This record gives sequence, structure tokens and C-alpha cells, in this order.
Amino acid sequence: MNRTSTPVKTLQYLALAAYILFLGFPLLWLVSASIKSSQELAALDMSLLPKQFHWDNYAVALQKQGLTRSAVNSLVVSLLSMVFVVLLSMPAAYALARFKGRLRAVGVGWILVSQVFPVILIIIPLFIILRDVRLVDTLMGLVLVYTTFTMPFALWMLQGFVAAIPTDLEEAAAIDGASRFQTLRRIVFPLLMPGIVATAMFAFVAAWNEFFFALVLIQSPENYTLPVALKMFVGGEGKVALGPLAAGAVLATIPSLVVFSILQRRLTGGLLAGSVKG
Amino acid sequence: MGTRRLALAGAALAATLLAACSQGSATNPDAGSGGTAGGASVTLKFQSLQDQPAAVEAVKGIVDSWNSAHPEAKVELIQAGWDGIYDKLVTQFNGNAAPDIIHYEAASIVPFARDGYLADLTSKVPADLKSDISDGIWKSVTVDNKVIAMPTELQTYVVFANKKLLEASGATIPTGDSMTLEQFRALARATTKDGQFGLAWGLKSPTATFMSLALTSGGTFFTGTGKEAKINVGAGELAVPKLVKEMAYTDKSIDPVSLTQSGSQALASFYAGKAAMTVQGSFQAANIKKDAPAGLDWVELPPLAGSQGTAQAANPQTLSVNADSPNADKAAEFVAYFANAENTAKLNQADALIPASKKAQDLILSSTGGKDGWDMTMKSAQGLTGAPFLAVDAYTQWKDTIATPSFQKYLANQIDDAGLTQALTEGFTQVNR
Repeated sequence: MNRTSTPVKTLQYLALAAYILFLGFPLLWLVSASIKSSQELAALDMSLLPKQFHWDNYAVALQKQGLTRSAVNSLVVSLLSMVFVVLLSMPAAYALARFKGRLRAVGVGWILVSQVFPVILIIIPLFIILRDVRLVDTLMGLVLVYTTFTMPFALWMLQGFVAAIPTDLEEAAAIDGASRFQTLRRIVFPLLMPGIVATAMFAFVAAWNEFFFALVLIQSPENYTLPVALKMFVGGEGKVALGPLAAGAVLATIPSLVVFSILQRRLTGGLLAGSVKG
Repeated sequence: MGTRRLALAGAALAATLLAACSQGSATNPDAGSGGTAGGASVTLKFQSLQDQPAAVEAVKGIVDSWNSAHPEAKVELIQAGWDGIYDKLVTQFNGNAAPDIIHYEAASIVPFARDGYLADLTSKVPADLKSDISDGIWKSVTVDNKVIAMPTELQTYVVFANKKLLEASGATIPTGDSMTLEQFRALARATTKDGQFGLAWGLKSPTATFMSLALTSGGTFFTGTGKEAKINVGAGELAVPKLVKEMAYTDKSIDPVSLTQSGSQALASFYAGKAAMTVQGSFQAANIKKDAPAGLDWVELPPLAGSQGTAQAANPQTLSVNADSPNADKAAEFVAYFANAENTAKLNQADALIPASKKAQDLILSSTGGKDGWDMTMKSAQGLTGAPFLAVDAYTQWKDTIATPSFQKYLANQIDDAGLTQALTEGFTQVNR
């Protein structure tokens, strides 16, 4: 059994720490900007640590632009989109991965083609359709749009996970007398868990960060989602309320961090749920 | 058992979220007003883009005072943001869901007027307000001889200076009604020494600044309107870009880093005493007052003047009325009320911008005593005039895809005068096809 030597291990940790710092630095800078006064943010000499802690930015961020209400809207829309995307893409991905034939090729082609259209081209017809079914300016309309636009990629992603599960396992289950539904529930589903979690995370983040559809389809401030509310800190003539914007952005990351911390345990947990004997 | 419990919890969560969703979807998105036009009370939707807290409050105040005096036509304020507003309006108009009253800016609202989405306000502007606003500003909101928007807030480009650094250089601080481009250049040269630059000029997106200040030298860039517009880049158009280039590369009096920064970013050098002057939008006076270090003694210099005086492009923020609004007359009445001198004085003072009406400008001057740069800002406002680029259909596309990158290359000394002229001219022919 090979044991890594201490100097190599130290170097590995140093490289890891440097990589984490590289990834985390923008976030650190954001947190730092959120507790700086506008004078300090406008000064030429910049430092990561603020000279004075300026918590007012958080008070301004929470009071203005209805940030709390927008956060709740974002959370509702993102969670529902995530649930719908996972529920719809799971059986579809299984069918795409397992059933060979001409329909499959057409289906896969259609998924790829659907990714090609720029959003700006379809926004007006989409708006008119949603208006006709009275879903403009509603969170449900947004959920529907997010589910529709996240589905193709989620499907593509999930069918890769399904394809990686050996068919031998399903055949073995069938020999043991399991129905297709039982096979799916007891064999495929547990093994697919990491893929489902990854897809869920993708769907959640896509909905959480989405700006353009929310901007155009939502008309009333009480229905704004977080990206739209945060953009309102950026004004005309290049005016930006940088401190409150940074504070708002820090607060906006909290719900997604919570969702991720809950889901990430399942990301690896599913890997241990089943296996093929070597 | 565990899976069943998880499924139940998931179902309960989904039900709760769906309930939350339906609670958040009560608003009727359909176009414009609620109510009827036949005498009963109506609700007018007013989409405002104000972003500064004080300005938001000022608008709320105006709306509240209107609502208490006009219970028959209640205005509902809808706060939106500047970012992406063009796309939002395009969709709102096409989807017949635009609000009754629309806040925007002249340069961007003109295409909507050309497409017939905006009501003609010509006969709705009160006579005293009409005469109180200069013809140049009216020109900026007039399309095919129709007033399509009410001008409410404007800005000019002005020079802020560090008084101590100017005095230390032995230069005389200009006073009076204007400062020539030559005086300005000499002042920057005189204050450049020992690692300190005469000027920090944030020209990361230089087109708007150059288009506006070109008028001081008679540079209009365009003749004609709409698709028929023609571009002309001559001495007047190149006067300011040439001045900047000579100051940067011959005099070395401009902080070269600032040429790649936004106006707000360039302020940092000014605050730190690394630059004696900075050219900014006039509204930055409020930020300088708020953010400058305590010891910084700053002053706003007289407006820049070229061979044709202190003319600058008027591209006002505007209020327009949706032509399809069933209550367009009431909406126009509100717009006229909004634009009266008292209201626009309050709003512009809160937003650090310049009101279109002379009476409102005088109100601000009397309430501020001309302090904090207001005296020079109001002097610069006298030169505001309609700019031909506002009437050019392809202007926005030309600005973003041709002019800005070409000016950036010019300021980086990658192309010369002839190269810039060629790029701007040929680029316009391309985008105006």
C-alpha cells in the first residue's frame, strides 16, 4: 500500500488551499464590499478588510427593493421548477437511454435543436401565449417557463446517468421476478440518485439565477424574483449602489447554500446504494 | 418506509409551494388601466425607473399628491429597473401589456414613437410649461412634429476640480460662464507633475460623452432622420476625441488608466489627489459631496466651450403615454402634473439631475444657493440642445457595435484620425442598411 510522503502531502494541501482561495476570492471580496461604506468603496486604496464595518448596507438592502419578498418568490419558483424538472425528466431520460429506435434519434435531435433558439427570438410569442392563458405576471407562469427551458438539458444530463447503469442489473431483477416498475423503484432509482441530485441542483440554480424571463414576464414588484430585485440597485447614468448591492447579493446566496448543503449529502450517498459484483 | 416519508414530505412541500405560487399571482397583467373610461374611477399604471432612494420618495410624493386630488384617476406606481428595460418595453408593447405611463429616456423611446406606440402629447402640454422649456430640449422629444414624451430630468458633462491642487500649480481657477477647451487643456498641463495627473476622465464607454461634447465644436455626426440619416465625421466631430488623445499622448496630462475606466471608477483618482480634475456627468456632484474624503476642497468649473459655445446634447429622461391606453387623456394630464416646476424641482434635486423647465431650475438654485456645484451645473444646462443622433434609427446599434469599439481603439492609439473617421462612417453604412 502506497503512503504519500509528508512533503508531497503538504504541497497537495497547499495547492488545494490556493485553489479554494482562487475560487472563493470573489465571494470574499463580495462580503468585504458588503460591509464597506460608500467612501471606502470609492477610494483608490483598496483592502479586503474594511477600515470600519458598515452594516447599514444590509439594512438598506433589506428595506429597499423588497428583497425579502423577492427571496421568497425566488425560493418558491426555484424549488417548484426543480421538482417538476426532476419528475418529468426522470422517466423521459430512462426512455431515451433504454429504448433504441428511430423515435429516440428524433427525440435527441429535437432536444439539441431546442437549445439553439436565442431566448430573445421567442420572448414575444411566449409572452403572448402566457398572457392568453393569464399566466403573465404570475410565479406559476415563471415555473412553467423555467421547467420548459431547463428540461432539455436536464434530460440530456440524466440520460447519461441512466446509460451508465448496467442493464445486467435490470435483467437480473427481471429474472428474480420484479416488474418493470419494481425494477425502476428498487434498482434504477437508488443508483440514479447522484444523477437526480445533480440534475436537481442544476435546475434549482438555473431558476435561481435566471434574469431575463423574470424581467420580462413579471410586471408587479410583489412578484419580482431576486435577480430582478438586485438589478434595481443598478440605476441609470451608471449609478450603482455598490454596498447595498453587495449586501443583497450576499443575502441572496444564503437560501441556495442551504438547498445545496441539504442536497450534496445525497450526491455521494446514492453512489453507495447499489453496485455490480466485480 | 423512509422513501414513503420522503415522498409525503415532498408532496406536502410541493403543495405549499404551489399555494405560495398562486398567492403571488393575483395581478392582472393586461394592458394599461383598470376601470373604465366612461366616468367611473380608473387606475393608471405608471412604470417608474427611479433608482435613487431620495428620487423614489420624491416620485411617491408626487403620485400621492395627485391621487389625493384626483380620486377618479388613481395612479398606481410600478417600480422597475433600468437594466433590460428596452427588451421589457418591446415585449410589453407587442403583448399589449404596456403600462399607461412610461418612464424612459429620449434616445431610447424614439423608436417606440416611430412604431406608433406612444400618444401625441403636443396639445396636452400646458402653454406655460411649453414656453418654460427650451426649444432644443423639446426637439429631443419631438418625432414627426409630435411631442411624444415629456422631458423631466437631464444631465450635462462638467469638470470637477481639486481646488488646492489647482491653486498649488499657480493656475487661475476659471470662473465666468464658460471655459474653452484650450483653457481646459492648459489647466490640465499646469497641474500635471510628480506622479499627479491634471485629469482623470473615465472614457470606458466614450460614445455618449463624445456625441454630446462634439456639439461644442459644431460636430453633429448625423444629418437627416430615421433610415434616411447620413453620417458626417469632420473637424467638429473629431475635436474632443483629438483633444483627449493629445492630452493623453502629447501632454501626458490625463491619467491613462482612467481612459479605460467608467466615470465612477475614475473618481477614485480624483478623491486620492492623484488627479487635479475629472470630467463627469453633472449628477456626480452629489456622489462627490457624499464620498469625497473630508479634506478634499472641490469645485465645479464653468461649462466647457468649443468654437460653437457650450452646446451639449439634451437626452432627457422622459414620461410618455401609451397610445393604446383607454385613459390616455387622464394619463397625459398626470404627466403634465408630474412635469410642473415644483414637482420636477423636488425630483431633480433628489436625483442630482437638471430639470427641463427653467422655472424648476431657478427653484433649485434658490433652495441650494447654487452650492455643491449647482450654479455651474445650471449654467451648463443653458447649452442643452436637441441632438441629431436622437432621430437616427440605427444609432443604438451603431453606438454599441461600431462607435464605442472604434473610439476605444482611437484612445488606445491603435488608429489615427483617418482610421477613426473611416471606421465610424463605414460602420454606420453597414448597420443602417
